[in-house]
Amino acid sequence: MTDRADSHRSHRKTRDRSMVLVLVGTVLLMPPLVGSLLVDGKIGGIPIPLLAIFAIWGALIAGAAVLSRQLRETEAQATAPPDSEP
Amino acid sequence: MLSLDILLAVCLGYVMLLFAIAFLIDRRARQGPLKWLHSPVVYTLSISIYCTSWTFYGAVGSAARNGLEFITIYLGPTLVFIGWWFLLRKLVRIGRANRITSIADLISSRYGKSPSLAVLVTLIAVIATTPYIALQLQSVTRSYQIIAGEADGVTTALWVAAGMALFTILFGTRNLDANERHHGVVAAIAVEAIVKLAALIAVGLFAVYGVSDGFRDIFADVPAEVITGAGDVFGARWATLTFLSATAIICLPRQFQVTVVENVEERHLSTASWLFPAYLFGMTFFIVPIAIAGLKTMPAGSNPDFYVLTLPLAEQRHDLALLAFLGGFSSATSMVIVATIAVSTMVSNHVVMPLALRLLAVRRAVSGDVRNLLLMTRRVSIAAILGLGFLYFRISGGSDALAAIGLIAFVGVAQFLPSLLGGLFWRGATRAGALAGLISGFSLWAYTLLLPSFGGDVVLGASVLSEGPWGIAALRPQSLLGLTAMDPLVHAVIWSIGVNALAFVVVSCLTEPDALERLQGALFVDVYRSGGGEPSGTAVATADAEDLFVLAQRILGAEPARRLFRDIATSQGTAGSLPYPTDAMIAHLERELAGSVGAASAHAMITRITGTQNVGMIELIDIADEAQQLIETSRQLAEKSAELERAAEQLRNVNDRLRALDTQKDEFLSQVSHELRTPMTSIRSFSEILLGDTTVTEAERRRFVAIVHDESLRLTRLLDEILDISRLEAGTVSVALGPIDTREAITAAVDAVSGMTRHKDVSVVIAPTVGDLYVHANADRIRQVLINILSNAIKYNEAVAPRIDIRPQVDGDRVLIDVVDNGGGVRPPDSELVFEKFARGSSGDKDQGAGLGLPISRAIMRAMGGDLTLTFADDGSSFFRLTLARLDAPSVQPHAAG
Repeated sequence: MTDRADSHRSHRKTRDRSMVLVLVGTVLLMPPLVGSLLVDGKIGGIPIPLLAIFAIWGALIAGAAVLSRQLRETEAQATAPPDSEP
Repeated sequence: MLSLDILLAVCLGYVMLLFAIAFLIDRRARQGPLKWLHSPVVYTLSISIYCTSWTFYGAVGSAARNGLEFITIYLGPTLVFIGWWFLLRKLVRIGRANRITSIADLISSRYGKSPSLAVLVTLIAVIATTPYIALQLQSVTRSYQIIAGEADGVTTALWVAAGMALFTILFGTRNLDANERHHGVVAAIAVEAIVKLAALIAVGLFAVYGVSDGFRDIFADVPAEVITGAGDVFGARWATLTFLSATAIICLPRQFQVTVVENVEERHLSTASWLFPAYLFGMTFFIVPIAIAGLKTMPAGSNPDFYVLTLPLAEQRHDLALLAFLGGFSSATSMVIVATIAVSTMVSNHVVMPLALRLLAVRRAVSGDVRNLLLMTRRVSIAAILGLGFLYFRISGGSDALAAIGLIAFVGVAQFLPSLLGGLFWRGATRAGALAGLISGFSLWAYTLLLPSFGGDVVLGASVLSEGPWGIAALRPQSLLGLTAMDPLVHAVIWSIGVNALAFVVVSCLTEPDALERLQGALFVDVYRSGGGEPSGTAVATADAEDLFVLAQRILGAEPARRLFRDIATSQGTAGSLPYPTDAMIAHLERELAGSVGAASAHAMITRITGTQNVGMIELIDIADEAQQLIETSRQLAEKSAELERAAEQLRNVNDRLRALDTQKDEFLSQVSHELRTPMTSIRSFSEILLGDTTVTEAERRRFVAIVHDESLRLTRLLDEILDISRLEAGTVSVALGPIDTREAITAAVDAVSGMTRHKDVSVVIAPTVGDLYVHANADRIRQVLINILSNAIKYNEAVAPRIDIRPQVDGDRVLIDVVDNGGGVRPPDSELVFEKFARGSSGDKDQGAGLGLPISRAIMRAMGGDLTLTFADDGSSFFRLTLARLDAPSVQPHAAG
């Protein structure tokens, strides 16, 4: 019983995280916040605005990769038939 | 320059290769499921038809013109995919549960299988897809011209269109899959996805390391405007474009086709959620370097849209140019193939089929004729759609930047968004609302964006654009109601989507959904709960199984229909004969047919055959009610279990309390026996002396007898007290109550202890009161309490000048009697202890009582409806307070005075 409640909780937690990932991505990439990337300068020869956008983008992809696996696993646990539990 | 022969040969070879792949996979897929084809990677690659030649060529052009802006087209889909759990998953679940064949099917299904909505959505899809297909024709034609020299644009475009139509017809409509899945095509576009990614990365690497000397060199002395664009790159246009691209990845008919319809397993979506954004990331990674390399090395005036091609050509890298051409060709063909398949499915299912049904309904045609008709209409519509694209290409002159054309299509399909989202998440959305939203949004899109895109001379004259129709400035297409100073695209998006959403919501609120709409709405919105949608609403027991069989034959073909009916019959337990047309059987059949002709048409056909146009309203409501009842039952169950939990908690509490009481009882008993033991011991020992010892003198004997007597008295008093308190606490003695004058009771009590006060020289002061204070009490008992408290106060008072104040006072409907002494009082920690049985003050007196005085007093007060408390004043001193109910006037004489 508690195992099931736990897996439900962790599934909900993962879902919340994935929602936060979308929200954070949207806030970072939308005006007005994205305007703060307009910095003159280069890091490693690459202009900062370009680098920053690709960095945020890459981070979002990495986050989604981690979360998609977790979502699948936690969902499988949360919806597993009761008789498969120890 | 590459020779034309080589170019044509490579092109032809490439197309042949795709043919071969599609053909082999199709043949193989019919023998059984293909493991690797059903992998999430292939699924993701098929979604990448989002990257058309607009991405392949146009993104570089956009980057060269507007800097970073092009990235928005890929950020929107990224956000949608990383949030797949919330929207795409639901979309795919609904699509699979209801055998949805297209976005028109989805929207019409949701709103009560409405044919009119299906036609409208199909119409919008055709019109919005046309510029997009024109864009592909244009890019292939241009790239061909660039490599092969000045071939005639129109002729080339015509050939390209014809070739694409042929390929699509050959592979998109070879057979009718009940699920509208095309394994061969999916495999082919997966290959194309890899080719275009590889080509773009190859050109990118060449731009960075071939043309320039690494990233540092590329970005050296590049002005900031090239990266960030001339104007405010992160402004309204940025947000609008991201929104549009996020919308397009859901609403574009071809994206819907690959993401929802071609989805084989729902878990593939979870891989695509990050793999597809990663693909986009890879596609765009080298866009800016290519654009900059192009700007630096290409002669002024060359079209930046084709830097991907012209850059290798200018550097004499013909192999790379050929690869780039194939990449662009791949992007264009894959998009055109899937888009035309998706749109032609809609046209045949939602426009041609309903018409054909009307014509064919009269005569019972031979089996399979509907199937042939379907295939034929699909083929014709594919050709027609490509023809329309070609027409748009000719009319618009093909001069616009690629990105602009793509965006027109994006805004067009974005009109589906309000109805789609509303349908997925809002039960209250109605068909009328969806119709109103779609019509208003579509009209505004056409007026503000599509028609102006043809240029000043086609459809809308130049004067209409600049001054408005009939010179009315407020109606200018690109600044409606005077909304000027806005990017035309942002303007069009705000107007069309805004009015669309508003009309959808307002009309939905004003109209009532009919029964079928309500049912479908519940199935869609609560798709996770219902665990798969059963298309319902025909519920006809009178339907003839033979008629249904004929219908199925006409649509699915003879053999598949026979197989289907055999399976149903077997599952019903009537193997060998036709199945009995139960509700479940009819629903199952309708779902199968919906896979071929769409939900609305399937529904129409079934009801036509079964002869009941009227959907059983009551039955529908019943079904909806059933769902509601389930919810209600589970809610009640939850409540019941909560109630049980509460009861168990109460039981636990009571049990704890009982256990505590039990402990108290044991303690009480042991204390009682201890208290009884002390006098008993002395009585026994003295009586033993008197009995046995003969040397006792007379004087001693008298003293001993006196001790035995005293101890017996003490014993008796103790037993009386114990009896008294247990009776009081058990409530078995009733204390007769009557109106008592407080002052009289106090005076009597003070008189009773006057011997003690005189002995210890204690002064007792009774504070004056205004008038008489009558309380509801028993005179004897209240005197007993007062005497007890007074004697305590006298006994334990260690002050030099002992003094006791008695202050009767009125507090609302109560009378308070405070007994205050200057003897040091009780320490706060002891405030409850003094009321415990057998507890004594810190300076316990062996001689007096067994510590039952105060508990008895409290029990008496409570028995009289009052209370006895130890109260602490602000300065920390303590005093006893008696509380009693006040009576206004003594109606009768006190029945038991003093």
